[in-house]
Amino acid sequence: MASETVENCSSHDPLLDFDSSDSSSGVKSDEYLELQFRVFRLAFLLTIFSVGIAGFFWGIQVGASLFIGALSGIFYFRLLARGIGRLGTSSKIVGKVQLLVPVLLVLVSSRFPQLDLIPALLGFLLYKPALIIQFLSRP
Amino acid sequence: MDSITAAASVVAAGLAVGLGAIGPGIGQGSAAQGAVEGIARQPEAEGKIRGTLLLSFAFMESLTIYGLVVALVLLFANPFAG
Repeated sequence: MASETVENCSSHDPLLDFDSSDSSSGVKSDEYLELQFRVFRLAFLLTIFSVGIAGFFWGIQVGASLFIGALSGIFYFRLLARGIGRLGTSSKIVGKVQLLVPVLLVLVSSRFPQLDLIPALLGFLLYKPALIIQFLSRP
Repeated sequence: MDSITAAASVVAAGLAVGLGAIGPGIGQGSAAQGAVEGIARQPEAEGKIRGTLLLSFAFMESLTIYGLVVALVLLFANPFAG
């Protein structure tokens, strides 16, 4: 009973369910999902590494800003991957919703003095080295 | 912030987003067209095509994001406002 509830919750959350992008057409692209998992894992590792270094050398405020930016970048990349996963099956265009993430990040960074803008932006761009490393090390 | 600086910042923000979105927009359109055509021709290569499309979209869209960030900084955290 409890496991059924957990399964139902996870399968209906469009942001957490990696299959949701393809389930509408019944097409499953395991390779694409694997690629997403690998990039997310690498991005998380890079985030932990860089937040640790930034927090150690420049203080906890810079580390927190970098961490929030990195989480925003991963969320942006997740939205972009979901849009590309839907392309050609349930949608004819790639949505632009993901562009709201950097907008909100800059707005929040400029409104709250606890956050620094530059570390947050650098953290947001941490998904790019993860992508580059992933594609260079691809078999 | 004096009125000339404010006006110049608003114009620059509009130009940054507008001009910065032209190139990536054209590139993303042609990339998506090629990817969908490729998937239609070779459905067995869908995973690879989508992965490559994700990489190219991420890098193309970052150009738009750079323009967007410059515009937002000019509007909400203007360094010339002092």
